[in-house]
Amino acid sequence: MAAIDITSARKSYGSVDVLHGVDLAIGDGEFVVLVGPSGCGKSTLLRMIAGLEEITSGEIAIGGRRVNDLPPKDRDIAMVFQSYALYPHMTVAENMSYSLKLRRTPKERITAAITVAAAKLGLDQLTERRPKALSGGQRQRVAMGRAIVRNPKAFLFDEPLSNLDARLREQMRVEIKKLHKDLGATSIYVTHDQIEAMTLADRIVAMNGGVVQQVGSPLDLYDRPANLFVAGFIGSPAMNMIPAIYRLVDGTGVAAVAGGHHLPLAGPFSIPDGTAVVIGVRPEHVTVSPPGSGGLRTAVDLVEPTGFGSILHLGPFGQPVKAFTLDRALGRNGAAVDVTFDPAQLHVFTEADGRRMDPAA
Amino acid sequence: MTALVASRRRPFLQRLAQASEPWLYTAPALILIVAVMLVPLVLGVSYAFRDIKLLNPFSGGFVGLKHFEALATDQAFRTALVNTLWWTGASVLIQFVFGLILALLLNQPFRGRAVAQALCFLPWAVPSFLTGLDWAWLFNPVIGPLPHWFVALGLMETPQSILSDPDLAMWGPIAANVWWGIPFFAITLLAALQAIPKDLYEAAAIDGAGPIERFRSITLPFLAPTIAITILLRTVWISNFADLIVVMTNGGPADRTQIVASYIFTTAFRRLDFGYASAIALVLLVLLLTYSMLIVLLRQSFLKRG
Ligand SMILES: Nc1ncnc2c1ncn2[C@@H]1O[C@H](COP(=O)(O)OP(=O)(O)OP(=O)(O)O)[C@@H](O)[C@H]1O
Ligand SMILES: [Mg+2]
Repeated sequence: MAAIDITSARKSYGSVDVLHGVDLAIGDGEFVVLVGPSGCGKSTLLRMIAGLEEITSGEIAIGGRRVNDLPPKDRDIAMVFQSYALYPHMTVAENMSYSLKLRRTPKERITAAITVAAAKLGLDQLTERRPKALSGGQRQRVAMGRAIVRNPKAFLFDEPLSNLDARLREQMRVEIKKLHKDLGATSIYVTHDQIEAMTLADRIVAMNGGVVQQVGSPLDLYDRPANLFVAGFIGSPAMNMIPAIYRLVDGTGVAAVAGGHHLPLAGPFSIPDGTAVVIGVRPEHVTVSPPGSGGLRTAVDLVEPTGFGSILHLGPFGQPVKAFTLDRALGRNGAAVDVTFDPAQLHVFTEADGRRMDPAA
Repeated sequence: MTALVASRRRPFLQRLAQASEPWLYTAPALILIVAVMLVPLVLGVSYAFRDIKLLNPFSGGFVGLKHFEALATDQAFRTALVNTLWWTGASVLIQFVFGLILALLLNQPFRGRAVAQALCFLPWAVPSFLTGLDWAWLFNPVIGPLPHWFVALGLMETPQSILSDPDLAMWGPIAANVWWGIPFFAITLLAALQAIPKDLYEAAAIDGAGPIERFRSITLPFLAPTIAITILLRTVWISNFADLIVVMTNGGPADRTQIVASYIFTTAFRRLDFGYASAIALVLLVLLLTYSMLIVLLRQSFLKRG
């Protein structure tokens, strides 16, 4: 186990810049999840840490040792691939023991390590099978097994669950979490499934276009997104984004939205009166109540029942806004409802650069 | 129910039509195969038991096993058999080794790879007779450079053609054959190499395997079925392949480069003894069939393991 330090790591393919200087310090035993849209450079960063991709500039250190010029085998890391990359001509046991054999581990030790890992992953009955005789979920476990028998300094996962169906994914997610609790190994996990990111991570690294947008605990990113990208990327259904003009009225900030409505904000902000802003509000923070309870009167355009609750598509002040409610009675197409916004739950971003604004103290 | 009764009472002709339907559909292909493959084969096999000499208008009679009895004591045939083993073994092995090396090199990314690939596959397009002539001239001490290079390297004392040296003559056609046949191995092995998933190499690199270990534990197992089938094909092909020998040495000097295939050619088209030539060909056919069966069995067991 070891800490991983990434200092202004850049990657270019010819003239194409893929990573624009990534700085990231990952603590010993930490579980860090890289999220971001497709093509943002998550895999590239992971492969640079693994040594499968050269580092154009900057530095990567594992356990305090600079590894830029070390080949993968000398970095002592294990990686789980999206495709699993199991050796098709080897049995499950051979797949898992391959790295140990190359390290000239004594036979008894190898057998013991395989037995323990196979038991942990529920593969005891399958050790003599070849990968092609396994289901997707079992292959995934073998790939995990191959990583854990080595007891490496760090685990790297590149979308390990994306080839599994939803139920299996949920199950494996829990197992990965348990495994991390057991082994306490430093882990870097790439996904674009934000549920995986939220549930697994000690810290999430949100990336976009080769730039780290925000690093923080899952709830940090959820409650205090640093910019419009993170706000829109984290959370499902996605945060509502309402264009508005910031106004200072009676010493407190309000957001002037379309239709002449004013939404009170949590206080004055250190931006000039009249600044164009975007107000972000999560669907569950849009309070919907039966007509007559006070607030903006609006009609329900569409209902998406999720079972647990309903997502209501509303149109207060002529803007599409989604609300999440547990009250099924409100979820009828065309019904009139009243909508209120809690000032404390309104996120304010400047329109110019999408940065988050916090109320001035 | 009515349908069942009706079908039972179907007239004979209709049933015949139905039974012959699959045969009618396949008839064009079957007729073609019979006409172009089976008929000549049977005819050729039948020659082996008949006395057919083109220059003797009274020949053509059935002679039973006479040709095979003659073959059993034919010293030239025995020499040709040993030479065939030598010629085939050396050619296939060297072609394979160089073909594999070439395929591995062409599988690496480098600038101008597409051009290099096209160039490397060029010899394949050269007609075999031209190849034979080319190499015969290369070995010729008067017009070819090779003997002079051998002298310069200290391998030879005076420039002379290895094609007329009884001890070395076989290496002439083998060299030409290797040059001509490398592309076949390179193409097929390169195709097999490119089908190996890249992430296996990455996984192995992370697992701690160096280049040699990766070659041994990933490349070779993936290539094994292709290697088996290409070696089988080339072996059968080369042991039947007399063009280069006929052009370059014509079996000489003193039968030192005479292989079974060129012996058949000489017997049939120089001595015009088609009966005897067919008998030799039949023996070669049986030997090659046996060999092919062995390789196919070997490949099956490989595939079952893989
Ligand atoms: N060999 C290459 N040459 C040029 N550009 C490349 C190369 N490999 C990757 N890229 C580019 O680098 C960018 C980042 O790719 P990367 O695979 O890291 O994305 P990702 O975040 O993992 O996406 P996904 O979620 O789809 O896996 C992409 O825009 C891709 O086009
Ligand atoms: Mg990726």
